[in-house]
Amino acid sequence: MSGEVKAIFEPKSVVLIGASDGGGRSVVSPAFFHSLVHNMLRFFKGKTHIVDLGGKLDGAIKNLNLVPKGRDLAVVVLPPKLVMKNWQKLLDRKVKAMVLVAGGFDRQQREELARGVTKRKVCVLGPNATAGAINPARGLCATLERGLMPSRGGIAVISQDGAVGTAILDRACFYGVGVSKFASTGDGIDVTEADLLEYLTRDKETKVICIYLESVRDGRKFLESIREAVKKKPVAVLKGNTERGEGKRDRIFAASLRQVGALQVGDVEEFLGVADALAKQPPMHGDRVAVVTNVGGPAVLVADAISREGLALARLSDKVVKKITGKYPDINIADWVDLGIGAKGDQYKFILEQVLSDSGVDGAVAVNELKLSFLEPEDVQAVAEAAKKSKGKPVVSVTMGGEDCTLVREALRGRDIPVYDSPQKAVRALGALRSYEKTRARVEK
Amino acid sequence: MFSVIGLVAVKKKVAEILNSLRKDGRRELMEFESKQVLAAWGVPVNRTELARDLSEAVKVAREVRYPIVLKITSPDIIHKSEAKGIKVGLSSELELRQSFGELIDNARAYKPDAKILGVTIQEYLPPAREVIVGALRDPSFGATVMFGLGGVWVEVLKDISFRLAPLSAEDAREMIQEIKGYPVLAGIRGAPQADVNALVDIIQTVGQLVHEFPEITEMDLNPIFAFDDGKGAVVADARIILGEIK
Repeated sequence: MSGEVKAIFEPKSVVLIGASDGGGRSVVSPAFFHSLVHNMLRFFKGKTHIVDLGGKLDGAIKNLNLVPKGRDLAVVVLPPKLVMKNWQKLLDRKVKAMVLVAGGFDRQQREELARGVTKRKVCVLGPNATAGAINPARGLCATLERGLMPSRGGIAVISQDGAVGTAILDRACFYGVGVSKFASTGDGIDVTEADLLEYLTRDKETKVICIYLESVRDGRKFLESIREAVKKKPVAVLKGNTERGEGKRDRIFAASLRQVGALQVGDVEEFLGVADALAKQPPMHGDRVAVVTNVGGPAVLVADAISREGLALARLSDKVVKKITGKYPDINIADWVDLGIGAKGDQYKFILEQVLSDSGVDGAVAVNELKLSFLEPEDVQAVAEAAKKSKGKPVVSVTMGGEDCTLVREALRGRDIPVYDSPQKAVRALGALRSYEKTRARVEK
Repeated sequence: MFSVIGLVAVKKKVAEILNSLRKDGRRELMEFESKQVLAAWGVPVNRTELARDLSEAVKVAREVRYPIVLKITSPDIIHKSEAKGIKVGLSSELELRQSFGELIDNARAYKPDAKILGVTIQEYLPPAREVIVGALRDPSFGATVMFGLGGVWVEVLKDISFRLAPLSAEDAREMIQEIKGYPVLAGIRGAPQADVNALVDIIQTVGQLVHEFPEITEMDLNPIFAFDDGKGAVVADARIILGEIK
């Protein structure tokens, strides 16, 4: 990497370069340029200079030579032919960083780009960085998808593939999961996953780093950057393009991730579910999980999942049991704490707080079923309140069922409680918090 | 593993062995050569001596002491058991004299044009649980170490674990515990535990070897005899392959 990654995510000013006529027959639709114009004007907090080489866009600069020099970031949404034709002009603008959105550069073209990068010390993301770069805190939404801007949060996402990256962002928006930074690396002629990891490790907003990759470039450097990151924050990896046969190389990849303390996930759903918990909740210091529920059946499934995940059901101390039953004599405490279908927010909060204060409890799953009970979505605020006071013990919420889960998720939007729609996912999230704690202890040695 | 001064000396010695083999233009080390490299690097191997003819074999066998293992030695024969080129547990000179000719004949029948250097006389190892340690170069990550139990566990069930080299003792221990067949080593039905610490040492030492010598592209220590806890582990057969000679 030649320049500063920082300029990609934290630009004060952006030069957006496209062609409203698409630059003739090309792989980049002019509609993408218009999306980017829209995104920059709508969200960006700094200054945007728009350059339209097609000349149709009102108020846009029509000649690259008229763009002020030394801006932080250039977002280039031109087809390969036009990028190559204007490459020297682009370099002469002396921007600190560039995002090359289009793909389809041949080897010779990529080599020419790489030469320019080395010579002029500009930091380049891409080419083929089709999903661009996003930083909600700065209002930077340099992505092709119109209006795809997640809320601010702790999850950083690096994706080699643009469409997978966009799908992850779309899910994040849909579930209200906050994002700190996003970048798609594409062909990675300059900025690699390792360079981004280095930046994100230092980034204060980022609490967890998620990486989707299909091929590994410079394997040892990649692993070393993960090892360094894991000392500060968890790293989750989803690997696509796996082997179809014996899978020896995949097994070696999995082992190497384990060695440097990264968490490997199996699909996009697990990716975001686990990341949400890692961003919002503290690591879990032991295996003992308490289950607090307002209905029986779903708690059975949670208990099953706890066992499968290699965790254990917590046993409450006599002291805590007495405290709870002293105030609420009808509460049933066995493998889990059953509040009963009449439980309301204040009762819920008191009991969850007691449970979390027990030294025999390392974390908790709160089961909030609305149907067949008198729990209202607002009562679930109690979970967020109790979790806030839990002093380093993670809490996750699960509501089975579709509509109910959406209601609970809405009630808890913006709170630091991850919400899941199945026991399996909720417990998997706690498992990730547990394994990160173990990993951290290990890599710090 | 080694003191700093010790490491320098050992590295020099292994480099010398590898260089002399490269001069011959060979990429595949024979068993006794592989064991020389391993022994120099501090990996426990059973005593293995080359004997070019029968009279040398008789002499060497007296030094090694009976019972012995006899193996055919040829750069052209990799799978010695396939060539019926192994005799285990010969307990007297008489048995050695009978087996020597038989082994040579078997090798000739298996591969008529094979260049036969002679046989190796090896220290006999009592029965133990057998494991495999291997090394390879992954295209993305480089030096990688493999561990598994011998026989069907590896060949049929693919019950193996991997770690990148160099690796910590904890990595090596995890590698051993990670395989499905681990209970076999931990001890089932009242059997004592195998010497897992000795295996951890071997895995780590092998990892260090492939890390230090990029010219080693593949290694196969198969089998390694893992004795009961506290009694160590010994490499009984080994194969090292070097990379393209530049």
